[in-house]
Amino acid sequence: MNPLARRQFIRDIGVSTAALPFITGLPSLGLAATTPRRQRLVVMFSPNGTIPKNFWPDATGSDFELKEIMKPLAPFRDRMLVLNGLNNKVRGDGDGHMRGMSCLLTGIELFPGNIQGGSDTPAGWAKGISIDQEIKNFFQSHEASRTRFGSLEFGVGVSDRADPWTRMSYAGPNRPVAPTDDPYQMYQKLYGQLRDRDSLLSILDEVRDDLKRVSKKISAEDRRLLEEHAGFVRQMEQEFGRVDSNALVSNPPKFEAGITNQNDNVPRLSRMQIDLMVNSFVNDFARVGTLQYTKSVGQARMNWLNIKDGHHGLSHESDKNEDAVDKLTRINKWFAGELAYLAKRLAETPEPGGSGSLLDNTTILWTNELGKGNSHTLRNIPFVLLGEGLGFKMGRSLDIKGAAHNRLHMAMAHAVGHHLQTFGNKKLSQGGPLSLA
Amino acid sequence: MRPLAEKLGQAFGLAALLLLTKSTGLAKPELSGEQVYSQLCVKCHGDQGKGVANEHDEPLVGDWSIEKLTRVIIRTMPDDEPEQCVGNNAKRVARYIYDTFYSPDAQMRNKPPRIELARLTNRQYLHSVADLIGSFTGQSEFGQSGGLKATYHNSRNHSRNKHSIERTDTTVDFQYGSGTPVPDNKEYKAEEFSMRWSGSVFAEETGDHEFIVTSENGVRLWVNNMDLKLIEGWVSSGELHELNGTIRLIGGRAYPLRLDFFKYKSRSASVKLEWHPPHRARQVIPARNLSPASTRSTFVMRQPFPPDDSSAGYERGSAVSKKWDEAATFAAIEAANWVAEHLDPLADTSAKNKDRLIKTREFSYQFAKRAFRRPLDAEQQRFFIDSRFAERKPVTDSVKEVVLLTLKSPRFLYPDLGQADDYSVATRLSLGLWDSMPDDELLRAAAAERLNTPDEARQQALRMLRDPRSRAKLRNTFHHWLGIAHAEEIAKDTEQYPNYDKSLEADLRTSLNIFLDNIVWETAGADFRKLLNSRHLPFNERLAKFYGAERVKNMGEFGPSFFDHERAGLLTHPYLLALYSYHNATSPIHRGVFITRHVLGRSLKPPPEAAVFKDEAFSLEMTMREKVTELTKADACMTCHEIINPLGFALEQFDGIGRLRETEKGRPINTISDYLSADGSAVRLTSAGDLARLATESPSAQNGFIEMLFNQVAKQPVRAYGPGVLNRLRRDFATSGFNLQFLLAETAVITALNGIDPAKPIERN
Repeated sequence: MNPLARRQFIRDIGVSTAALPFITGLPSLGLAATTPRRQRLVVMFSPNGTIPKNFWPDATGSDFELKEIMKPLAPFRDRMLVLNGLNNKVRGDGDGHMRGMSCLLTGIELFPGNIQGGSDTPAGWAKGISIDQEIKNFFQSHEASRTRFGSLEFGVGVSDRADPWTRMSYAGPNRPVAPTDDPYQMYQKLYGQLRDRDSLLSILDEVRDDLKRVSKKISAEDRRLLEEHAGFVRQMEQEFGRVDSNALVSNPPKFEAGITNQNDNVPRLSRMQIDLMVNSFVNDFARVGTLQYTKSVGQARMNWLNIKDGHHGLSHESDKNEDAVDKLTRINKWFAGELAYLAKRLAETPEPGGSGSLLDNTTILWTNELGKGNSHTLRNIPFVLLGEGLGFKMGRSLDIKGAAHNRLHMAMAHAVGHHLQTFGNKKLSQGGPLSLA
Repeated sequence: MRPLAEKLGQAFGLAALLLLTKSTGLAKPELSGEQVYSQLCVKCHGDQGKGVANEHDEPLVGDWSIEKLTRVIIRTMPDDEPEQCVGNNAKRVARYIYDTFYSPDAQMRNKPPRIELARLTNRQYLHSVADLIGSFTGQSEFGQSGGLKATYHNSRNHSRNKHSIERTDTTVDFQYGSGTPVPDNKEYKAEEFSMRWSGSVFAEETGDHEFIVTSENGVRLWVNNMDLKLIEGWVSSGELHELNGTIRLIGGRAYPLRLDFFKYKSRSASVKLEWHPPHRARQVIPARNLSPASTRSTFVMRQPFPPDDSSAGYERGSAVSKKWDEAATFAAIEAANWVAEHLDPLADTSAKNKDRLIKTREFSYQFAKRAFRRPLDAEQQRFFIDSRFAERKPVTDSVKEVVLLTLKSPRFLYPDLGQADDYSVATRLSLGLWDSMPDDELLRAAAAERLNTPDEARQQALRMLRDPRSRAKLRNTFHHWLGIAHAEEIAKDTEQYPNYDKSLEADLRTSLNIFLDNIVWETAGADFRKLLNSRHLPFNERLAKFYGAERVKNMGEFGPSFFDHERAGLLTHPYLLALYSYHNATSPIHRGVFITRHVLGRSLKPPPEAAVFKDEAFSLEMTMREKVTELTKADACMTCHEIINPLGFALEQFDGIGRLRETEKGRPINTISDYLSADGSAVRLTSAGDLARLATESPSAQNGFIEMLFNQVAKQPVRAYGPGVLNRLRRDFATSGFNLQFLLAETAVITALNGIDPAKPIERN
């Protein structure tokens, strides 16, 4: 049901406009069978590059084997598309990490600025919009694909700073979009009003009771005012109570309280965010999502993997340091495991009002800021797609042999019907979208 | 209009009567006032003057003297044939009307006002919730003003700095060009440096405040909420830009503020911190609103409320509506969510603490007790607190429900439920002087039953006057009195008044506030009369220059400024004169109405016919006085305008923005006129000084002011407290030397002790 029809429906069941803040934006209260297939994009980010020899499959084509890092993704091998050979060719201001992060989804240079990285010139924000926001805008501009939020930006263990290392999504030049790394805050954003309504309903009876008791002790003339007041309370109870919480296709997940944003809570926070994201797809709050693990130069200590060293520090060890290589492999394997969890949740959740699962209509793009941590190389950026949302031909490993990554972004845009001629830096868009279908 | 037949019948009947008396030569039948009324008046004015729909809707009540009433009747009544009621008949019917239902005393006799149950007004709600939460987090304070604490570092990163300077900067408005902030100091290089300005900012009035930082470098700003940046602009590309953030602040309080800045490798550097407060133009935050001392945050509710009923001339919580109930509900939700989010610091516990449940329950009890302004009994404790907690129910959910239930409870929303005990006294005092809830000291006094005699109440009141909340409430009261509470920018014709700009106007509003504050709080005696007859006004340099005043040096930024002509306090403060004027001319009518109602305390009915002032309708050589006289000359208009006009004319030598002028249209200004006071005597007015004398000496003016103040303190009509209260207060006010602090405290004490019997034990309901 489109948003306009929904409002009319609500009016018809007699709910006042006051109740509307609680329930507008809730998903369709019933889907028409003729709705076009939904398409979703999720961009997942992990930092500090990968260990190429333990990551990239040797063979290309459909007969490829998953290396150590990608072993957790084995159940989804046939639904994956591994893209080697894509380079982040954006140059200009900022060091490798800054450009790795802020040019990754934008494909365009950074503004010159006042933020100094480890090397190179200081830089500001990116000069253009990121592909997730570009596709979100496209979806929001069409009634059939419009949703309450358009896109939801999730984070896990992102620090509280706003700089080119912590932002990969941009609504436009100089307009970074901050991820929400607090699952309770995200919950409040998605369901806060519903929870408020529930809390309210649980006490309105008592409020009326209280009013009755107080009325007994005051003069007859003054009682009129409290009676009027009680009338409004009863009205509110009726109006809010009538809104069926089963109007949601799926209830929000139940969270354990008190999981604070600390290093050792990262695994728990990751699962909470993933569950919330899947749930928000079921309720069709958005068609685009991002999931950002820490940030560029993220220094998480994966204690749950028995790794005490900080991630970024490890990533600068030489290739010959076998201990470091092993740890980095396990770290990246853990990220792959989180991706596998996200894919599993999507695969086992039916597509509401349609056929198949959420994963049939979603494509996850797992990516990284760098090709390799210790060299800061921006060549062979890890790109792994999973899921059939974009209609690409999956179950393959490809070597694009040094193309600009802008062309991947264009391919994703074209796959949802948004026929961009260029994306980001115009020169780097030459050649047009990669053909991946 | 009445049907012709009826009119004819009426006229015929009366004519017949008169004819009869004339022709018989007998003694004229002297009709009693009541008889005249029933024959000539009741058809339009109704029984007991109540009014008649479609004839004269409004009740026949007012404050004219009996002489004036008689004259008006002779001249204009009955409406269509005034000549039917003249001479003795007019006198008698005037007397009848006056005594039976018209005069204030008659009104009181007929329907004595009573103290009505009232909910919190919007202002009271806002302050109560702020102070309720403040009772747990600590109240904010404004230290010595004069600027912000400033630390300068010679690196872009505060932690990596090698050299720092600490000082106080009066404002933040610096252009460094391509250099450093401390050009004499060789430790500082142009390539990178950083600063932090911190302290607190004082908001004058309640409302949304926009903060603006202009810089080409990296900046971040925190105001009040130190966990969430109001402005995030750390990353910059060397181009000058403005960043802004808006936050609601409560007037009369201070809020923590911090501004971080750094320059790195940009071509130039500058930083400017401005604000755009409510009712005022945008400006660099002035030093008088900044203090280098930081302070605690205040919980400022964001939820907007529908306006309170102000039909009685002051805001009252005498009615509820669906919109109000919804606003109060969403406000309770806002507070509940905030408390749940900040539970650990509020309840002095932590997420994994074993005693979190106990601490949360204890916090919940304290919250409800302070919200209800009295302890809870066992049944209430079970109802409001215990029942909301359960095994395996998250404590944050429980505390949310407690807050919701408490803030939606009539025990919070209707502060005075007639319990008439010491806690009631505490509540009334805090509402009366602060528009907020009792503080710990008041509650302690109430618990010890030491708050039920005039001396005890007075002692508390005098203590409470020293709290900044008293200042804030009195300022709010004065703003309502003067009609500037909702004044936005006053639009003035730029050709007529080319140099009157928004900054000047902002200065004028500040000057007015300082004028009021000085008289009440800074000058011995707090003499009310000075409000109206002071010959000097507090002006800064710009204002003194603009209005041609001589400013006394070294007495602060807004020092007392003297004029070479007569000024009379508020009556001639340019801000009010500008407000009560047209955009390109003076308006004796607006000024006259303001003075009639607000300064002289007289009531005015709305005009029987609305007349628009069209300047073009008059010939070019006419002065404003002549135009107004012409426009209002009809008898029906003159019933009120004979009061209004003289008052406005007395100020005609001050132009539309309050400057002195000697001539208008080439002729000297005529400010002389005769004013008819309520008691029937005529007073010749020639200047503002005469007006001031009239206003300070007239008993009805004093009563008007006292009643206005009483209404604001009590939020109830003064006559509900007894017929003699107003006069008694006026006598005591006069005995005190018209001391405004005395009046405020005494008013609070009277309202607080109303109905309190010291012998009665505290009722524990």
